Amino acid sequence: MAVFDTLIRALAWAGAALFALAGAMLFYEVVARYFFNAPTIWAAELSQLALIWGTLVAMPWCLAARRHIAVDALAVLLPDGLRRGTEAAAMLAVAAFAAIVTWYGGDIFADSFVRGRTTGSMLDLPTWLAELPVPLGFALLFVQALVETRRALAGDYAARGGGHE
Amino acid sequence: MNVVAILGALFALLLMRVPVAFALGGLGLTLLILGGFSPLMAPQAILSTLDGFILLAVPLFLLMSNVLLKGGVGRDLFAAVHAWVGHWPGGLAVATILSCGIFAAISGSSVATAATIGTVAIPEMIKRGYEKTFVYGLLAAGGTLGILIPPSIPMIVYGFITEESVIALFLAGIGPGLVLIALFVVFSIVRSILGGQAVEAPATWRERLVTSLRALPSILLAVLVVAGIYSGAFTPTEAAAVGFAASLVITLALGTLTWSGFKEAAFEAMATTAAILLIVAGAKVFGKAITLYRIPQDISAFITGNIDTPLMFILVVSVVLLIMGLVFEALSMVLIMTPVLLPAAMILGFDPIWFGIFMVVMVECALITPPVGLNLYVIQAVARARMGEVAEGVAPFLALMLTVVAALYILPDLALYIPFKL
Repeated sequence: MAVFDTLIRALAWAGAALFALAGAMLFYEVVARYFFNAPTIWAAELSQLALIWGTLVAMPWCLAARRHIAVDALAVLLPDGLRRGTEAAAMLAVAAFAAIVTWYGGDIFADSFVRGRTTGSMLDLPTWLAELPVPLGFALLFVQALVETRRALAGDYAARGGGHE
Repeated sequence: MNVVAILGALFALLLMRVPVAFALGGLGLTLLILGGFSPLMAPQAILSTLDGFILLAVPLFLLMSNVLLKGGVGRDLFAAVHAWVGHWPGGLAVATILSCGIFAAISGSSVATAATIGTVAIPEMIKRGYEKTFVYGLLAAGGTLGILIPPSIPMIVYGFITEESVIALFLAGIGPGLVLIALFVVFSIVRSILGGQAVEAPATWRERLVTSLRALPSILLAVLVVAGIYSGAFTPTEAAAVGFAASLVITLALGTLTWSGFKEAAFEAMATTAAILLIVAGAKVFGKAITLYRIPQDISAFITGNIDTPLMFILVVSVVLLIMGLVFEALSMVLIMTPVLLPAAMILGFDPIWFGIFMVVMVECALITPPVGLNLYVIQAVARARMGEVAEGVAPFLALMLTVVAALYILPDLALYIPFKL
């Protein structure tokens, strides 16, 4: 469990680094275009990949830290026993969604991988590079949602990663 | 029938506290499967969302404002504005609003704006004897300027889902933003005079010069971002990247950004970005599904069949949004309601850019209406205040915002003049 928590947290940091990297690449692109009149062929595409990977790998940590936006209005009014039940049910719903997206996201990835499809852009990267993080991120989200279900049943559903937005 | 069942299921999931992103995505996926459509559309919709170049602007604008926040730019900005207007009646309140307005031009989030200026302004105003409820209301409302004055994250999201120009939306926010600032300023002055608030001595010219020089880079940054987008030199995403780089240069030059401060800024930007973009992705799955069920068409047929004047439409929509705003957070409202309402609005002759600005102002109201309003939480946390005090203080500002909505309706050019006629 501790290993999984550490992995999820490390991936959240990786997400943060990827976003900062995307900023650096796009800044370089603007400088290259305006000052050296030499736009890059890689900045836009790679920074987009950073956004896709960063968001999806950071997703499980956001669930663990309760950083996903949720509607609290009713839940906080419930008595403790009922609240444990609804929280657990909510997390099971997330797990179910994550499982299905992992499955079909995996199909999309596998299909591109087997056929060797590429993006057809200047860099002509394999398409699966952008598709892999969907099954990966949602598989981790699935595990995290199960962990959260158990935590909710134990009455632990407070924010663990600091405040909201 | 379908409409009621689907919306009922959505609200049930949300009230159970399923995160908005997964409630939308999960319900959309369920509808796809039940309707015999390919479930592959769900991961495809998620991918196509994250593949949107315009949405790259979200983490970059957040990085920029978080870096500036960690670099203490809020303090510098507030000190400079205060040196110029502090001796006016209600000077501290006026300085607070103007600082919020300027920070709004560097930040796309109302929460960041409320937090940055609030941290500095709240203790200062309370020390000088301003009434607490007024101070809290002022900051909660002033913070909402963050999403009306460009850049604005809800506008980026609105532009993304409606495929309207984010640049036009940004420019359309300027007019109503300035009117709102003016109304807040006048209200602060009148209230301070009536309340017998003591007037401060003017700052010396030396003070003005010193504080302004320190705040100048941030103000130039705001100008660079807005002017760069306006002139077409940068796309909004590139402007965000340039802004992020410039925010690092500024805070490093001022010597106020530490390595741990930078790491915190990046981590916060990551958490907010992931939360926001996943809601957009979930909404995209949901939107796909309800379109296949022809829900937006049904709703807009229902609306146009029962409501025949634009005024009635806006009144009904405003009431619905205000009620939703009691429980919903801003971005979720934009994402759930825009696809449902925009088709009907366009049939009734509303400009989609105008409608976007209308939605943003209404969403600002949602940000400050209790019991759920992100800005209320921020002020509560920053000032360690009770929710009741914050909520009480917010009421007059809510009235001023609704005045702006009325003005927008009567005079659509308030929003549309700058992007389309200037």
